[in-house]
Amino acid sequence: MKVLVAIKRVVDAYVKVRVKSDGTGVDLANAKMAINPFCEIAVEEAIRLKEAGAAEEIIAVSIGATQCQEQLRTALALGADRGILVENDEALEPLAIAKLLKAVVDKEGIDLVILGKQSIDTDNNQTGQMLAALCNWPQGTFACNAEIQDGKIQVTREVDGGEQTVLLNMPAVVTTDLRLNEPRYASLPNIMKAKKKPIDTTTPAELGVDVSSNLKTLSVEAPAERSAGIKVESIEELVNKLKTEAKVI
Amino acid sequence: MNCTKTELLNALNDIVGAAGLKTEPADLETYGKDWTKFAKPAPIAVVLPADAEAVVALVKLARRLEVPLVPSGGRTGLSGGAVAPAGELVVAFDRMNNILEFNAADRLVVCQPGVVTEQLQQFAEAEGLFYPVDFASSGSSQLGGNVATNAGGIKVIRYGMTRQWVAGMKVVTGTGELLSFNQGLAKNNTGYDFRHLFVGSEGTLGLIVELTMSLTSLPKDPSVMLLGVEDMAATMPVLQACQAKLPLTAFEFFSEKALVHVMAEKGLQRPFESATPFYALVEFENQSDADMETAMEVFEHCLENGWVTDGTVSQNLTQAKSLWRLREDISETIAQFTPYKNDISVRVSKVPEFLQEVDRLVGEAYPDFEIIWFGHIGDGNVHLNILKPADLAEAEFFEKCAEVSNWVFEIVQRHGGSISAEHGVGLLKKPYLHYSRSKSEIAAMRAIKSVFDPDGILNPGKLI
Ligand SMILES: Cc1cc2nc3c(=O)[nH]c(=O)nc-3n(C[C@H](O)[C@H](O)[C@H](O)COP(=O)(O)OP(=O)(O)OC[C@H]3O[C@@H](n4cnc5c(N)ncnc54)[C@H](O)[C@@H]3O)c2cc1C
Repeated sequence: MKVLVAIKRVVDAYVKVRVKSDGTGVDLANAKMAINPFCEIAVEEAIRLKEAGAAEEIIAVSIGATQCQEQLRTALALGADRGILVENDEALEPLAIAKLLKAVVDKEGIDLVILGKQSIDTDNNQTGQMLAALCNWPQGTFACNAEIQDGKIQVTREVDGGEQTVLLNMPAVVTTDLRLNEPRYASLPNIMKAKKKPIDTTTPAELGVDVSSNLKTLSVEAPAERSAGIKVESIEELVNKLKTEAKVI
Repeated sequence: MNCTKTELLNALNDIVGAAGLKTEPADLETYGKDWTKFAKPAPIAVVLPADAEAVVALVKLARRLEVPLVPSGGRTGLSGGAVAPAGELVVAFDRMNNILEFNAADRLVVCQPGVVTEQLQQFAEAEGLFYPVDFASSGSSQLGGNVATNAGGIKVIRYGMTRQWVAGMKVVTGTGELLSFNQGLAKNNTGYDFRHLFVGSEGTLGLIVELTMSLTSLPKDPSVMLLGVEDMAATMPVLQACQAKLPLTAFEFFSEKALVHVMAEKGLQRPFESATPFYALVEFENQSDADMETAMEVFEHCLENGWVTDGTVSQNLTQAKSLWRLREDISETIAQFTPYKNDISVRVSKVPEFLQEVDRLVGEAYPDFEIIWFGHIGDGNVHLNILKPADLAEAEFFEKCAEVSNWVFEIVQRHGGSISAEHGVGLLKKPYLHYSRSKSEIAAMRAIKSVFDPDGILNPGKLI
């Protein structure tokens, strides 16, 4: 089985982003970048499948600027066998990403694609679903457990108020939720070995995918600031404020 | 005390009002002790002044009524410095917790003593700056307590101790006088610098009522590297290699035994497959992309020399924080084993030898004692922890540990080390002070105390 893992380079989860003063986006100059946390979980899941003998090869793919190689190297250090960078400098919409991934899937003869359920920068939660539709494959989204069973994959999904278990024919698309696994650290010896693993570079044009955009970002604004909390002197004052100001009782 | 309790409480009430006075048994218990369980708290009352004037009035009153005072900060101290075991009046600074003034050009912040360490860290960060003194208790400890103990922590190798960040200080001495030292000056060669005398004085010379702290630039993109070290002696060349090549911000260590306890208690994963007897946690800044390359070279060099056998490096800030937890959660994790704790330092190069000697001595005398080592090894500062065997009564365990203390301090003395690296002396280490300080030095300390506190009302029985 050949597994494709999609990896997005995003701003580190701990970085406090600021909106640019002209409202065109957030300021990422010099910001620390990392693998999207959900994609990290996808990599870990693929490695576990390989360790369990269910997968033969793990290919990590990233779509974006040259610097995405850093995140691909991390995936290689964690255990992916090779990387593919689809180089493109502009930010792409989920549909364009899904089309590019479909092209890679076709080219590489992939049996299973694992992606994060969403990326922490744009929070779209669309790519996996769109990819499944384009490939006409079954999908197991929001996975908190995944097991290979007789050539099928059983995925437990996080749904509102509980869990749902689905059995998918392969090939299939799985998107990861937080509880699926705890990603390992990349060991230093493996980071060094990963330097020798191959990363192929391609482009949307080479893959024959039109990535032109249908959307235009008009403006980006920071959420309204929450006012600071206050300390009340007595229970009476608290009750009074809950009644008259918060109007919750 | 030369008055009745009621008289005292009335007089205190006149100064601080009802909001600044606590006498409930639960409050006396809470405010009368620090993190140690060394002595039973028994203060007469707890007073919480709201400003420096109130502190002056309090000290004058205490002097007149001959009431001993125990200054109390965040009560995270580990030497019993803030413990009030004998009917003292506790002076707590919780209400003096405001940041008063900030000047970006000077990079100076004027703080009241009750400002919590983390509060200053966060304030600095919001200003795009950095307050570098940091340790596991910084969410509770106060600047007044930090200065009074000259707290160290995990960034000392790069940024020094609390002392280095005190640019000015106001204190109320035992005579009730308000003194102001250094006023935030970078250069001020006008004789004795009293500021440095009060840093680390553990509340025995005066009550700190205002601090001017310096800030520095934020470190750039710190990465955490954890290295598996086969034997303690090997940490020294590893430290040297890291120091020579990398912009280090921390160099910590812990033993496999410590790691096993933390992983079990906190549900954390093993950082890399192989277990090694010791781990070095190295934090460095990525001032440019070259630093990560250099870190790889350092690792390769250490690997080739057989000093380390495995390791990992954080790929994002979440991982950096998780790796730090393996070190920072140790203290809290082993608290359940009623450990004996000792904070000591020797010169960095002597650490491996020192550890071996202590291990050998304790191991021979008490083979059933589990020894846990961790600490700021880059500063020559190690924390010795011995876990109480489950079947041994507490009293008996600590009796045996008192014996261990003497052996340890003798070894410390032989190596020219310190019996208290960063936790201070307080009540806990007072009997052992002579292992590190000469008779004449201790006599000089007493003489200095009598200048600032002629009646001995400030934290009596502590330190000297
Ligand atoms: C989990 C844990 C980890 C720790 N790690 C470290 C570490 O890495 N490095 C380190 O150095 N310490 C460490 N400590 C010890 C402790 O946090 C420090 O000693 C800290 O500086 C104490 O501050 P505090 O405000 O809690 O002081 P307290 O414990 O309240 O008091 C300490 C001393 O200061 C005096 N004092 C307090 N406020 C004033 C004031 N305004 N004026 C005059 N005297 C005053 C007290 O009388 C007492 O003698 C740790 C403690 C814990 C519990």
